[in-house]
Amino acid sequence: MIKLENISFDHCIKCTVCTIYCPVARATHHFPGPKQSGPDTERLRIKNPELLDDSLKYCTNCKRCEIACPSNVKIADIIQSSKWRYFKNVFRVRDFFLARTDLMGSVATRVSYLVNFFIKLFPVKFFLDRFMKIPSERRFPKYAQGTFLSWYNKHRKEQEAFAEKAVYFHGCYVNYNNHDLGKDVLTVLNAINVGVIVTDEKCCGVPLIANGYIDKARKNALFNIHSLEKSASAIGARIVSASSSCSFALKHEYPNLLEIDNSAILDDLDYITRFIHERFENGNVPAMKPVPVRAAYHSPCHLERMGGVMNTIEVLKKIPGLDLTILHSECCGIAGTYGFKKEYYKVAQKVGAELFKRIERVNPEIVITDCETCKWQIEMSTPYRVEHPVTVLARAIDGKKL
Amino acid sequence: MRYDCVIIGGGLSGITCGIRLAEKGASCAVISTGMSALHFSSGSIDLFGHEGEGKTVFRPFEFLDDFIGSNPLHPYARCGSSQIREALFYFRDQLGREDIDLYNNDDANHFHVTTLGTLKPTFFSQRSVFNEKIRQAFEKKSKIAALNFEGYRDFYPELAVINLKRNILFRNIEIISGKILYPDYGDPRRNPFEYRSIDIARIFDTERYLEDLAAQIRAAAGDAAFAAMPAFLGITNFKRHHQLLQQLTGLLIYEIPTLPPSILGMRIDNALKSRFAALGGVYIAGDTVKSGTISGGRLESVYTENGGASALGAGNFVLASGSFFSGGLVSEFSRVREPVFGLRVHSDAERSRWYAPEFFPRDGHPFLEYGVETDERLNPLTDDGQRIANLYCIGALLPHYNPIREGSGGGVAVSTGYRAAELILAGN
Amino acid sequence: MRLMKRIETEAIVIGGGATGAGTLRDLTLRGVRAVLIEKSDMASGTTGRNHGLLHSGARYAVNDLESARECIRENKILKKIARHCIEDTGGLFVTLPEDDPSYHGKLIEHCKYAGIRCEEISVQEALRIEPNLNPNILAALRVPDGTIDPFRLTSANVLDAQERGAIVLTHTGVSGVIREGDRATGVNCRDRRTGEEFEVFGGIIVNASGVWGQELCASAGIALRMFPSKGSMVIIDYRINNVVVNRCRVPSDGDIVVPGDTVSLIGTTSKKVDYDKIDEITVDQDEIATLLESGEKLIPNVSRTRVLRAYCGVRPLIAVSGEMDGREISRGIVLIDHEKRDSVGGFITIAGGKLMTYRLMAEMAADLACAKLNLKKRCRTRTTALPGSERKLDQAKSVKFFTGIPNSVVGSTLYRHGQRIRNILHRDKRNYGLICECEMVTEGEIEYALKKLNAKDIVDLRRRTRIGMGPCQGQLCAYRAAGLFVKYDSATSTESNKMLVDFLEERWKGIKPVLWGDALRSVEFCYWIYQGLFGLGDVKFPEEGEDR
Repeated sequence: MIKLENISFDHCIKCTVCTIYCPVARATHHFPGPKQSGPDTERLRIKNPELLDDSLKYCTNCKRCEIACPSNVKIADIIQSSKWRYFKNVFRVRDFFLARTDLMGSVATRVSYLVNFFIKLFPVKFFLDRFMKIPSERRFPKYAQGTFLSWYNKHRKEQEAFAEKAVYFHGCYVNYNNHDLGKDVLTVLNAINVGVIVTDEKCCGVPLIANGYIDKARKNALFNIHSLEKSASAIGARIVSASSSCSFALKHEYPNLLEIDNSAILDDLDYITRFIHERFENGNVPAMKPVPVRAAYHSPCHLERMGGVMNTIEVLKKIPGLDLTILHSECCGIAGTYGFKKEYYKVAQKVGAELFKRIERVNPEIVITDCETCKWQIEMSTPYRVEHPVTVLARAIDGKKL
Repeated sequence: MRYDCVIIGGGLSGITCGIRLAEKGASCAVISTGMSALHFSSGSIDLFGHEGEGKTVFRPFEFLDDFIGSNPLHPYARCGSSQIREALFYFRDQLGREDIDLYNNDDANHFHVTTLGTLKPTFFSQRSVFNEKIRQAFEKKSKIAALNFEGYRDFYPELAVINLKRNILFRNIEIISGKILYPDYGDPRRNPFEYRSIDIARIFDTERYLEDLAAQIRAAAGDAAFAAMPAFLGITNFKRHHQLLQQLTGLLIYEIPTLPPSILGMRIDNALKSRFAALGGVYIAGDTVKSGTISGGRLESVYTENGGASALGAGNFVLASGSFFSGGLVSEFSRVREPVFGLRVHSDAERSRWYAPEFFPRDGHPFLEYGVETDERLNPLTDDGQRIANLYCIGALLPHYNPIREGSGGGVAVSTGYRAAELILAGN
Repeated sequence: MRLMKRIETEAIVIGGGATGAGTLRDLTLRGVRAVLIEKSDMASGTTGRNHGLLHSGARYAVNDLESARECIRENKILKKIARHCIEDTGGLFVTLPEDDPSYHGKLIEHCKYAGIRCEEISVQEALRIEPNLNPNILAALRVPDGTIDPFRLTSANVLDAQERGAIVLTHTGVSGVIREGDRATGVNCRDRRTGEEFEVFGGIIVNASGVWGQELCASAGIALRMFPSKGSMVIIDYRINNVVVNRCRVPSDGDIVVPGDTVSLIGTTSKKVDYDKIDEITVDQDEIATLLESGEKLIPNVSRTRVLRAYCGVRPLIAVSGEMDGREISRGIVLIDHEKRDSVGGFITIAGGKLMTYRLMAEMAADLACAKLNLKKRCRTRTTALPGSERKLDQAKSVKFFTGIPNSVVGSTLYRHGQRIRNILHRDKRNYGLICECEMVTEGEIEYALKKLNAKDIVDLRRRTRIGMGPCQGQLCAYRAAGLFVKYDSATSTESNKMLVDFLEERWKGIKPVLWGDALRSVEFCYWIYQGLFGLGDVKFPEEGEDR
């Protein structure tokens, strides 16, 4: 039966407001906009799947249409699920590897120096561009030596000693590329007397969903829900994530796109700044040293959709000395693996152009954002360095230089 | 999380209320489910356009003095004529700070031309829709050129011109229509015959097409003194580019509101949000308030879809969730209800009375007059008769007025929004 | 003195429903010169107001074997000649827990008598075929039901006849039958749009005006009594089922859900109406409640879906003998030679029957008409495909042929016009620019309908293209269509303004009975645009003709 959550297109009253706020429709003329790609043609696809238009592949799933929609239509979900429901899945080596952050990470972290060295070489870039259709302008995030998990395991004991604990879903990026962010999470949470518990996890599924590996995404989702629930309920802890996209997947994509019941963990899930903000509000504010830096904050699309931007801003405002400019909310364009594909590269850059211009106008010392792929995109497209809000907080707490 | 005031609904009324409160130092959060009805509006603010039987109101404030006395349940009666005036001019002032100039004909209504060439009485219009120069040109019976892009599917000047020509006010005024072509907009694969107003507004926002457009407008307008075009002359750079276009063409260029999306309305929406943010307000978009905790006749906190179990607390709350369209009211097979708090609603029990037999009835459709019942202080009652003293209902959610028949939607939104802010400020 | 226009022809067909259109085509295919006169638009009466079921005959098998046999015969013919108007979806008869289980067996038996393939399948199989079905059903039968689009069918018949030389006069009322002695020789007509009056003369007049035939006959001095029975239906916002779902019980209210293009319909009720009320019937609230309740029993999602419209039609049942309840009367075909029955020569009536048997009725009427005209011509409609249906529809081929145009547009156009898609779409961007975004109607399709398919106003245009039939019910596209009428010189600006009002009022008739939930939201929005923004209700229209 067509499930209730899949008939939200029925509520669309064709007001056209989503078409205004779609950054992709603004950037490229190949995309006819969320209304047409979503609720309009979904009615036709139900009638006959052959009425599918290729153009809907241009959707980046940024969810800005859903934020704009006054009728609660899950526009981006409709488009996203159409991609794997109606398109014949053609195997592409590139998409396979882009989707398998777990696999790539666990191999690459063993030989990170080699990988980081090779991936920058011209012949490799040429090969990737020419044969894998990954544009040569793209730089891959560096792999770390070893995993965050192996580092954490050396500190597990001291974390378990805290009276209050939170289960931390670190995600692939922290595990394989950026251990420092994970360490910063510990610094910040420890400073507000919360111990950090890490449990078994798999890739949240975002890159799998984007590349059509739905069965694998479902398996990961079930694994994560089970594992997080087990370890959170055992100690009555909340579950936090410092990646806005992982957090979004756990909260929204699992039930809405993968149709997997996440109610066992839903009420305990927090994006990290909400968790911190709540504690700040209750007077649990750590001692902080001034961070006299001029910063511009960029709000990632998925955090916007989750309604978490306000928390990040409020938390950042508590950092003494931080000169913060809130950038007008714009999509950066990368949309996870989307911007790594040659066919979408130009669109991705055009989507992001407005944001880059606005950053330039502020000309900050650093840009702050919650999402790792936004970070890559901004660092690849502008000369500015990008940091996670938790990292900035950690510097205020530990007094090290940002 | 806690604020001085949480406003549910980010449309015209909610955000006007928020601006007033934030300006007075209150910490405010606005929670908005989707984009507001401003995106479909004319972009003018109507105060009162038609009294009973469709008679035009020329001087709305004079009219209101009597009207309020005989219609004590009307939202305007909750505000009082002097506070309505205060609210409207406050609103104009706030928009002025965001670079949007509103024209008003002192205390009188003026008339703007609609897509179909009818005239609509209104109180404030953006200066690109109506201003003194247009009025003078009009009085001199200057020739008008109604221009449009070739192939733009959302505007057909012929349909408007025929109705204008039949209007006594336009007798002896020559109206010609003309076409201009889209500039080479880069991507050849896009179908320009599917452009919406927003796509064209972006063309006008880009400086590099202006000269080409100006040359075309000049040529198409011939010897006309002013050019009327659908309202798509830009959003972000509108003011500068509009002036530039007028300079380049030597014409007065003015705008006619179109099918949605409304560029005129979006300009106001942007300005209000930007003003609210500048005053320190927090705007939470894309979230829906699901329920609240009421105790001892006060609303203590609300819960949202995204917030899950974590509450938003505040000293005062404002419900500006709109009518049926925006979800402030929900209609079911045989009843109308307010979905968040289950407030007492004015409506008809029998569905066959919700609407008029014709689509264009003389007296309007009754369902447009449904809404949440409030007392004079805009406080609503729960279904079991309990007054909620710190919840204020404003805007299209209110009953006993017909925004379309009266031509009063914008005025009610602004003045009840302002009124609620004043009540909250006075209470603290 | 201005001479009144006069048209001479061989045969005059009155009534532009499926039967009239079919008769016109049948006569034309036999080489008879013919004129069709319709007071409103083609398929605007009973034809366009049913649930669009391509009967296998199973629904009649138990009660009316003769009708069932007619149905299955015509079913097979239509699948060949009207491919683009029908969908071979297949149908199910399902038994709900509260239904009399013995009907199931009875139906199997009677289908066998009627020659209808009726196959018993497991509940699991039924749910596989139609996943949206109520999972609590007890038993299921599979029959060769399908769906048929009455507008397309009628339009294709008329198009074919016109291309072969027939004259079609829509929006033309017949004010009276002209008699010379004991013969009817012609009709007085009035063009309802221009007010022009004229006469049409012919050797034979075929009354195919269905339930309205009673008045026509009266004007010829013939007494013919109709027993109109009202049937109401509701339309669901999207195609909630892909297979026709029937309830396996003695025919009653609300026991069928039919997919129809992008929507589904729940049918039907049956209520007697007085003859003088046939032009003002509306759907009653209790009918809507009944239809939704019973629809939900067949397909549970019905309760969670927006209802787009409710509408009703009048079944034209002729009293052949005695008073009867609307449902029990036979839907049998009635062909009357008024020369024999009433001693009025040159006048015949074809009535009764159903959409399914329109071709057979047309054949019978044309046979008799030819006999009266002393022509010996064989009927060719059994095998001659309708325009658009000449070959099997191949979506993949069309999509390839029209590379560059979105599949959704190509597929929708193909679906509505069959092979005629090649006369409609071309790779000019203006041609495939979307006007109706819900149903993917392009400017090119509208141009085609205006120029080739006799669309005289937006309501007609809707019947040709599905414009304004989607979830928004015309909120954006009505204005655009009105503009295109002017652009393509099919109307003056005033007429165009007026037809916009008429179209929205016509849409309103079907929406107001179901005005709750999203339908009400949508109406609020639409009313806001057309009255709040446009002031359409305030437009003053000049007296008829003043503008011409």
